[in-house]
Amino acid sequence: MENKKNTAVVRACCNAMIPGAEGFEMIVCPAADIYETQDAFIVELDMPGLNKESITVTADARILSVSSAQTNEGTENGELLVNEIGKKRYQREFHLGTGIKLGEIHAEYCDGVLLVTLPKADEVKARQINIQ
Amino acid sequence: MYVRFDHPRTLDNLINNFLATDTAISRSVFPAVDIMEQEGQTTVIAELPGVKKEDVKIEFENAVLKISGERKPYELPENARVVLNELNVRKFNRSIQFEHDIDASKISADLTNGILKIVLQKSETAKTRTVEVK
Repeated sequence: MENKKNTAVVRACCNAMIPGAEGFEMIVCPAADIYETQDAFIVELDMPGLNKESITVTADARILSVSSAQTNEGTENGELLVNEIGKKRYQREFHLGTGIKLGEIHAEYCDGVLLVTLPKADEVKARQINIQ
Repeated sequence: MYVRFDHPRTLDNLINNFLATDTAISRSVFPAVDIMEQEGQTTVIAELPGVKKEDVKIEFENAVLKISGERKPYELPENARVVLNELNVRKFNRSIQFEHDIDASKISADLTNGILKIVLQKSETAKTRTVEVK
């Protein structure tokens, strides 16, 4: 993971310094929001320019990993005058706490945003206790 | 063609670009764009994740293309707690100045998977023409 990060930084630097270095593949860490509700954690990631088939979401007991194939926007022919987006791959990992129902994690991709819902296991849900 | 921006590239901006995180907070210019020019046609591509079609406004006036709108936040259920907040949920506005004539009646735009693609055609008078010497 650390190694991959270093590569990404080096590539980003190359892209910034060498005009026309489009051949480099950039790996970027998508920005994310995380919310906790009573029943689940919701992770929202900005990953524009993909289709849902090119996104991979995996989860084991410790790590939720989100990655994608290369974005295909900006690959048309013609003279590139401004290059702020470029081609890139997204990759990010989140450490999971205990109490997630791994089998029921689901993800959807809409308007360039990936939404991953991680349902909480029943034993960690907050519950109200009746006073007798 | 020459394109000028309403925000100059500052040193801070350049340094931020060096650090390869895509967190939108580190970006002072939003949305990020790619601009390509082909034969008589200019394509502007902007990254607008999470923005609905009806929340984007594209205007073209005096050779300035203006992209503005708002990203609406995710509708949270009640009692939700924010654990991490990096997304750029706010109003945005970016203007791009064109130097040559654009045919304003032939501008088309499409928003798919968070990518806005605007195609602008050069007007007939602005196209390069070869003149035969008699």
